Amino acid sequence: MLAYTINRILYLIPVLFILTVVVFSFVHFLPGDVIDVLGGQEGVFDPAVRQALQQEYGLDKPLYVQYLVWLNRVLHGNFGTSLVTRRPIAIEFFQRIPATVYLALVSTAISLMIAVPLGTMAAVKRHTVVDYAAQVLSLVGISIPEFWFALLCVLFFALYLGWLPSSEYYSPLDHFGLSLKHMILPAAALGIRQAAITTRLTRSTMLDEVQKEYVDTARSLGLPERRVIYRYTLRNAMIPTITISGLQLAQLLGGTVVVETIFAWPGVGRTLFEAIISRDFPVIQAGVLILGIAVVVMNLLVDLLYRVLNPRVRLA
Amino acid sequence: MAKTVLLPDELVDVEVHVPTLTLYVQRFWDGLHNAARELYKSKTALIGALMLLVLLLLCLLTPYIARYDPIKQNYRELLQTPSAKHYFGTDRYGRDIWSRILWGGRRLLLISVLAVLVGLLVGIPLGTLSGYYGRWIDAFTMRVVDAWLAFPGILVYLLLATLVREWKLAGVWNDLALIFALGANQIPRLARLVRGTVLAEKEKEYVEACRAIGESSLYIPLREILPNCVSPVIVQATVSLGSTLLVIAALSFLGLGSPPPTPDWGSDLNLSRDHMESRPLIAIFPGLAISYAVLAFNLFGDGLRDILDPRMTDR
Amino acid sequence: MHQATQASESELSRRAFLAATGGILTGAAAFGVMAQAGAAQRHPTRGGTLRFATRADISGLDLHRNIIYLVSMPLAAINQGLLDLDARSEPVPGVAAAWEATPDLQRYTFQLRQGVLFHNGREVDAAAVKWNFARMQDAKIAHPLTRSALENVQEVEVVDKYTVRCHLHTPSAAFPADVVYYPCALMAPDSADRADLHPIGCGPFKFAKWDRNNITELVRFENYFETDAEGNSLPYLDALLGRPKREDRVRLTALRTGEADLIDSMAYADAADFATKYAGKFQTWEVPTLATSFILFNLEKGPFTDKQVRLAAAHAIDHEAINQAVFHGRGEVARGFYAPASPWHAQGVEAWPPYDPDKARFLLRQARAVGTEVALQALPTPPYMQQTAELVQAMWAEVGFKVRFNLYDEVALNQNRRERTFHADSTAASYRWDPDGWFSRQILSTAPATRANSGFRNERADRLIAEARRTAERQKRLELYAAIDSLVNAELPLLYLYHLTLLEAGSMRLKGYQPSVSGAFSIRGGGIRTAWME
Repeated sequence: MLAYTINRILYLIPVLFILTVVVFSFVHFLPGDVIDVLGGQEGVFDPAVRQALQQEYGLDKPLYVQYLVWLNRVLHGNFGTSLVTRRPIAIEFFQRIPATVYLALVSTAISLMIAVPLGTMAAVKRHTVVDYAAQVLSLVGISIPEFWFALLCVLFFALYLGWLPSSEYYSPLDHFGLSLKHMILPAAALGIRQAAITTRLTRSTMLDEVQKEYVDTARSLGLPERRVIYRYTLRNAMIPTITISGLQLAQLLGGTVVVETIFAWPGVGRTLFEAIISRDFPVIQAGVLILGIAVVVMNLLVDLLYRVLNPRVRLA
Repeated sequence: MAKTVLLPDELVDVEVHVPTLTLYVQRFWDGLHNAARELYKSKTALIGALMLLVLLLLCLLTPYIARYDPIKQNYRELLQTPSAKHYFGTDRYGRDIWSRILWGGRRLLLISVLAVLVGLLVGIPLGTLSGYYGRWIDAFTMRVVDAWLAFPGILVYLLLATLVREWKLAGVWNDLALIFALGANQIPRLARLVRGTVLAEKEKEYVEACRAIGESSLYIPLREILPNCVSPVIVQATVSLGSTLLVIAALSFLGLGSPPPTPDWGSDLNLSRDHMESRPLIAIFPGLAISYAVLAFNLFGDGLRDILDPRMTDR
Repeated sequence: MHQATQASESELSRRAFLAATGGILTGAAAFGVMAQAGAAQRHPTRGGTLRFATRADISGLDLHRNIIYLVSMPLAAINQGLLDLDARSEPVPGVAAAWEATPDLQRYTFQLRQGVLFHNGREVDAAAVKWNFARMQDAKIAHPLTRSALENVQEVEVVDKYTVRCHLHTPSAAFPADVVYYPCALMAPDSADRADLHPIGCGPFKFAKWDRNNITELVRFENYFETDAEGNSLPYLDALLGRPKREDRVRLTALRTGEADLIDSMAYADAADFATKYAGKFQTWEVPTLATSFILFNLEKGPFTDKQVRLAAAHAIDHEAINQAVFHGRGEVARGFYAPASPWHAQGVEAWPPYDPDKARFLLRQARAVGTEVALQALPTPPYMQQTAELVQAMWAEVGFKVRFNLYDEVALNQNRRERTFHADSTAASYRWDPDGWFSRQILSTAPATRANSGFRNERADRLIAEARRTAERQKRLELYAAIDSLVNAELPLLYLYHLTLLEAGSMRLKGYQPSVSGAFSIRGGGIRTAWME
């Protein structure tokens, strides 16, 4: 197990390397560069000025040189400055990570809070109203386009019902209550869709578990039903649920552009997307690197967790 | 077809059924029959199948039931509510929404199916090889898949879409760019899934048996293991069909959708954002269309899983 | 798509400068003491924080490097320059209390007020102005828009501590409009090293914090020089919080739920009936002349090099249809660059070819160009650019063009322009304080923007533009610009489509606020300077 873990961690390095090189190349193959963005549509039409600016930003050097310069800086801990805002990446990117992480965590929490009880009840009370309701709701939940659902949430909960604020981000470190209040709607918009997937998963794994022999054994031993369900089956069923939630969380870290745009949430998904659109290379590289690490580490943790909890699948 | 094999030790004629192509086809056909029967067992699969059938019918009949040209604008009939003339009303340019949904549906469903096919065509071999041969092939492939999963899929699409424009290609090439980008997104997930299943199957007894008989190491994964992995892959494929539709909608929201005036449910939904409150009846249709299609795929996928999983008795 | 949004706003912000009264301005102008009609009705109270939700956010803090659009970017409240703007978007005295030009319009002397301070306490004197202008002319630092505003400046002379003299390359009656605080904002010379982190201007508000796509925090600058009619110093507000919310629905929702006190715009579909639906619940302010949208033709490459084809394209456009479908009837069809609400609206402009699809088809057949492929491009945001282009595409397809329409992000769009690979572009330009700011950039054949965009080359237009530039008298200038617009409508390097408007809306508690006709929210004796929260 330990060897496996170390192995995987060591593999992290070439993976990240490949990732950054590939992304770097991709973005450079896209036409145009950040100078077009800086000048707006006023544009920089004078070739002499263009060249001067390219030199200023180091964009005139050959690609591999640019990449190596970046790599060198990163290895010394300097991620550079954004080409657009000219502020350090620490501000432009790293400071946005908490916003997305909070959002991802809260939405996963919401998702589990909805999905686990609902899925369990649906499995336990099979073929009843609860079961069908759970199935229908979860199917609907995964069928609606994300931005539409988010807008509907805003209109419904913020405008018509007036229960929750519609946008804006506050750091929980500054003002916990306010932060949570503003986080609920975007987290719910994400979490409900996650919940739909997780409900189905929970339901199906619970159904699997309930069919197993040990459940019959436990029942015939006279153990109360509640105990059978909650002590034994639920625990086992949670294994795949948690692992999938972990994977979802990892995906969420980079995939929140839509929700962040709608709810005016200053997170990394949107930052990375806008950086790609404006060819802001330092931000893109930093973003892909950090998100790459996050996703790969999450995958690793999930894999390890799965192997630990499921003795049947041993290390290959 | 039976082939007689002489087992050296026992010198007895034993009939061993070695699967040939005909037998394979026979098996497949029988499987379909079984599937049709099984369909009745799962209500979800039935409903899903019916919904898909309706979708398919609408797609096929589009040239006959779409009453207007989906890209023809009409400035005298802007934003009309549903009526006998325009079943779903008109959008902000006066285009008939019913026609747009139908033509858009054809295109989008084709794109999704092709995208998932791309994912399957690359993902399945990748996952199988990785899972079966193990060791360094597995390690290498899985690391590539890891990186792939962490890759911002939007970049692929941007690049392909930009290339299409750069090279002044139009029409179908835009759609091809979309198909490949979406397919590329699916590959890592499918590969991981297949690999997982192959890994699990690999440990089972029948594989051991095959090896004992002396079947080649290329034959085993292809002919023996893969058919058993089909069910989770099919389920994932149907789910992927749904999710590609949702991704297309998200791309339109981000301003990266298909070039106008291509009928596209995502673009239409995006366009109707302004009118969500003033004309909810019109704004709702593209969203409903997407939800319906994704729901159909998911229901069907659910039902399929129920049917194909031998462990399930009465779900 | 924040970048595209913000930069398209900056695209909308090519310098637009109006000479205040045209001609030589002698004598002292009022010392920033102006009683705004609305503000005089109630007694303003000091204090209060205004939460301003806008569509766009700035992309950088350096006042020279970035365009800080004074319609939709709250950071513009920290800016002030030699000249200020009034409610009619005309240049009026700002830091410069008075100015005069030599009769040949080639030397301008500005008299600075004494005691005007930057936010860090340093005084705004002639040396500071000279430093600023030098920085704004540096190609490696300044935004192209800012730099082009001072292109004509040959030398900046410090006559004495409070007198600055600008020597121009060519005579220009439009120069005062060039030195309005947008885009030529003055920043403190000793703040240059932290320009990207903490900008120091000399406007009514001070920079406190910027968290990109989240919040812009500004606080009142206590030593701002402008005062109201009773001598109280402006602004009244304690603080200004800018909240960028890109999504129209969400911004409007924020207003309606009370999370925002003022929003800079709303979707046209909502604007059509907002004022009536919410009368009494929310206030609204019309911005009648925000910008002008137009179709730009590429006259150098492609089908539109042929004037017949351009005429055909123009005849195919139904301006009223665009009015209804895209703008829901808000605003008006553009027959020239300036809308009727603008002080520079000229009478007697000859119209562009009227809507006549049959004539269009006929012309196209005559030019043997039926079925010609046209590459039309547009930005996806703001939405009206794409929507207008979609309508244009359909209209052109109807008369026989084969239109290939593509949405490009800003970078790709600019590249297409540079490489001249587009044929038509659906775009817009924001208000210019002086017509010269528009015509000498997009119509004058030698202008870099013209060369990169339409490639228009018309001797008569060049002559008229040069003449209008040199002319001091306002009425004469108006006539000249009318003639130029008539020429534009005849030769069609671009086809004017529409005058864009905005509907700003705010809570009933916001008093004393009125944006200028072009949307600027920080204006002399008005806007957020005289606004207060009850």
